[in-house]
Amino acid sequence: MIPSRVNGEACDRLMTLFCWGCALTLTLVLAAILGFLFFKGWHVLGPKLIFGEVRPLDALLFKKRVFSGLFPAALGTFCLICLAVGTALPLGLACGIYMAEYASNRVKSFFSLMVDILAAIPSIVVGLFGFSITVFLHHYFGGRILPCLGISGIALAFLVLPYIVKTTRIALEQIPLEIRMTGLSLGASPLQNLRHVLIPASLSDIMAGIVLAIGRCAEDTAVIMLTGVVATAGVPKSLFSPFEALPFFIYYTASEYSDPAELEAAYGAALILLAICTGLFIISFQIKRRYNSFN
Amino acid sequence: MNDAPKIKIRGLNFWYAKRQILEDIRLDIRYRSITSITGPSGQGKSSFLTVFNRLWENIDGARATGRVCMDFGNGFEDINHPDCRLPLLRRRVGMVFQMPNPLPMSIRKNMAFPLTLMGEKNGKTVAAKAETALRQALLWDEIKDRLNEDARALSGGQQQRLCIARSLVLEPQVLLLDEPTSSLDEAAVHEMEKLLLRLKKDRTIILVSHYMDQVRRIADRHLVLRDKKLVSP
Repeated sequence: MIPSRVNGEACDRLMTLFCWGCALTLTLVLAAILGFLFFKGWHVLGPKLIFGEVRPLDALLFKKRVFSGLFPAALGTFCLICLAVGTALPLGLACGIYMAEYASNRVKSFFSLMVDILAAIPSIVVGLFGFSITVFLHHYFGGRILPCLGISGIALAFLVLPYIVKTTRIALEQIPLEIRMTGLSLGASPLQNLRHVLIPASLSDIMAGIVLAIGRCAEDTAVIMLTGVVATAGVPKSLFSPFEALPFFIYYTASEYSDPAELEAAYGAALILLAICTGLFIISFQIKRRYNSFN
Repeated sequence: MNDAPKIKIRGLNFWYAKRQILEDIRLDIRYRSITSITGPSGQGKSSFLTVFNRLWENIDGARATGRVCMDFGNGFEDINHPDCRLPLLRRRVGMVFQMPNPLPMSIRKNMAFPLTLMGEKNGKTVAAKAETALRQALLWDEIKDRLNEDARALSGGQQQRLCIARSLVLEPQVLLLDEPTSSLDEAAVHEMEKLLLRLKKDRTIILVSHYMDQVRRIADRHLVLRDKKLVSP
């Protein structure tokens, strides 16, 4: 019997080594991507990349329009993320809570299937859907509605809705029965139990879904390309105006650049996009920490 | 008056899906007493406890029929009657679970939690009630300087007493305990038994236990759950 035990141990070691190697590869790939971006983009980073020839304060106060900087694109992406996640969040949370807490098994499996199908729809198809809506609205309102920030935001919200629904549902369903019963046995109504016990207990998992949604909104190009992004729109003036966005800037610069300096600006844009996402992640984790604080 | 039954159960049946756990139970439980329930595992002792606060309604597949009447001072009311308000019932009938289940918040917030649910907003009242309950649960002196710490950082015995205190803060007239000492060490068990004997002086306690010696030490009446029936040993 001893040889097989030794074999077992060797297998165990090999498996551990393999898993460790996979984790290391993942980290290295991440480091390589980030390193590459920094290497290519760091020396263009600076106020000039963002604000061009305009003084930063003038740009931030919208006194002067920025033509050669990334400020309009960065602001457009920021507005887009806030709008899309802001629309998807209440819908997704409510839907996830309904499925986890209130729906019967049959209703739940039906809605799960629907959410999974929605998650599987390619972003370009969601973009086409947004485009059709734009065309419809354009005809309905006598040509006053054009591709714009609002429609892009709503179309993107549909794209990220499944992430939020699913993480909310799974997070709530994972709560152990003892925790679930604690509030109820102390006289909490189902709604109070949800508000005071279940949601706080599952908040960190729900937040993971939100972070995923933020990332998805920040990177998506297909949807916004068909619904409202324009290369030289300037800062978005309202929900009904076209806008610029960083991923779209990176996409068209990378495909149509005429000199290396332009390409460098695209790398700089990629770094700014990362910075915006990091900022939003930090904000969501701060919200989570505040909500979870003990005192 | 002390011997008057506080709880009357008539024709109680309990099922999990199609499996019947309890059959035609008839039982009177006196005021100011400890009634203990023992029996083989998996026979439905814990399920039986949920009959007293209708917590079974929140468990998938559970179903109960029959009458469970309790006297909270205005004569017997059937708690399974549609007019019975569930949150009110669960404030009058406190429950402590087998595993200590402090909520992931500070000790202070854990104690305030049941009162918050009731809509009590006055901070002074909340603090005073919490202190009284913690003193009743013999925990105050150990934790009075640590109220803002995470409740999960307490020892197992302290956590379980915190959970008892958290039920006591609502001044329940009936206290249900589901093997409250099974996760505690010997010293903590001893403390807990002392506590239960004190608590029964002004409320009715129903205790599910695994330990016969514990039952002999503290129970006024001992019942065994076997073959869907409650019998005296």
